Amino acid sequence: MNPENKTCREIEPDLVAVAAGEAGASATRGVERHVGVCRGCRDELERYRVLEGMVADLRRAPLAGADPALSRAELESRLADIRSRMVAYGIFSSPLGKILIARSELGVSMVRYVESESAGRSYLTRLAGGEAVEDKAAVEATYRELLDYLNARGTRLGWPLDLRWAGSDFQRRVLAATAQLPYGAVTSYSGIARRIGAPASVRAVAQALRHNPIPIAIPCHRVIGSSGDLTGYAGSKIGLKERLLSLEGVPVGRRAHRIERGHMYILAEGEVEYCVPSCGSISRKPLGEVTLFGSRQHAEAVGLSPCTACRPDLHPISS
Amino acid sequence: MVRDMTEDPFESVVAAHHAEIHRYLVRATSRPSDADDLSQETFVRAYKAYRALPPDANVRAWLFAIATNLSRNHFRAEGRRRQAMVMATAGASERGSSWPEGEAIASQASARIDRIVTGLPLKQRLAFTMRKVHELDYDAIGKSLDCSAESARAHVFQALRKIRRGLDDLEVVHTERQP
Repeated sequence: MNPENKTCREIEPDLVAVAAGEAGASATRGVERHVGVCRGCRDELERYRVLEGMVADLRRAPLAGADPALSRAELESRLADIRSRMVAYGIFSSPLGKILIARSELGVSMVRYVESESAGRSYLTRLAGGEAVEDKAAVEATYRELLDYLNARGTRLGWPLDLRWAGSDFQRRVLAATAQLPYGAVTSYSGIARRIGAPASVRAVAQALRHNPIPIAIPCHRVIGSSGDLTGYAGSKIGLKERLLSLEGVPVGRRAHRIERGHMYILAEGEVEYCVPSCGSISRKPLGEVTLFGSRQHAEAVGLSPCTACRPDLHPISS
Repeated sequence: MVRDMTEDPFESVVAAHHAEIHRYLVRATSRPSDADDLSQETFVRAYKAYRALPPDANVRAWLFAIATNLSRNHFRAEGRRRQAMVMATAGASERGSSWPEGEAIASQASARIDRIVTGLPLKQRLAFTMRKVHELDYDAIGKSLDCSAESARAHVFQALRKIRRGLDDLEVVHTERQP
């Protein structure tokens, strides 16, 4: 190796390559030729070979002060935290149109009617940022259960729920009370207000249900106006409310979007027996103080028995 | 989470690669405490992007790329590069010994090479460490450093030449291989 010699300067990269075992055939031949005549470069090649051996030792040598165990433990707890905050979602077709379903480790956190996949995606991204990950496979089973429900192959969505997107304690109480409404039953906003011990907060209840993050699973479609009007649903999707109620056997006047109270069984507050609409003074009770059932079957499914005075079992409502 | 609520496939990624990425980052940053932070950050980022990774992707090379990016940003952000360089130069000039001759002093030799590597320009240091310590291929190294495989190789060779000179400066080399 002679720094003054052009050939020696130019061949150095090839010496490095040969020592590293990465030189091509022609570079290898060039190096062999040159070191055959140049003692300096022969020594230099040897030094690079020694260096390769020393470098290989780096793979095994301990690193001073480095212990990955603590860092790994911290990492695991950060990942667990992220995992608990993350939601997986998918957007699916359903008899009610496109539906977004999201769930976390804790349970289902969102069911939402969306106009399109892109609208659903951008909505959830705005709401959850990087914590929402599209993963249809992760919510596929939930979707199947929802489809069964919507196709009348099931009456219960026994999902654990994650109420992360309920805005306030008040809304949580409203949603919890609404979740108690049985399949095939309806009450009014004022009925929910009474159940959570805030009988004057009827409008606030309606507001809370308007922003229900998990419709269908939290059956806000079973909550209607005091007059029997269906009022609102998911913005202006009152047709969906009507379909969900019809699915459950609740008679809905198609034109007027009204519940036909005269065609429903009635359960008064605090009672365990259900009645026909004409039983005693029950027909005069405000909707907020009763629960209506579209069929005896659904009333008895939650453990109610027929009233011993009006005997709905003997005199069922003709449909 | 979620795909299977009890078993997260990412846990096996952490188990398989965390120790090695941590080791890489100790050399990349030359500070174990930075390696603690950056190795966590590497896996947190990887976790968030893992789902979008094609099933046939080389997970290990991908993790190295994330770790490499974080190292480079780390130095860009904190301007620590110069400080590390000064420390390394000061350290190197205090020591002077011959080329090591055997296994007995292999770890001492490793420590000396590590010190020289610390003083290399960042891209050379990262390329050298990925190639020579972790044995990644040049394609993967190029992807990590946003350069071609050829440039990645050139960075490694530059590093080798500088290390060789760094050792040479300390003492004259004995050149005959022992039989």
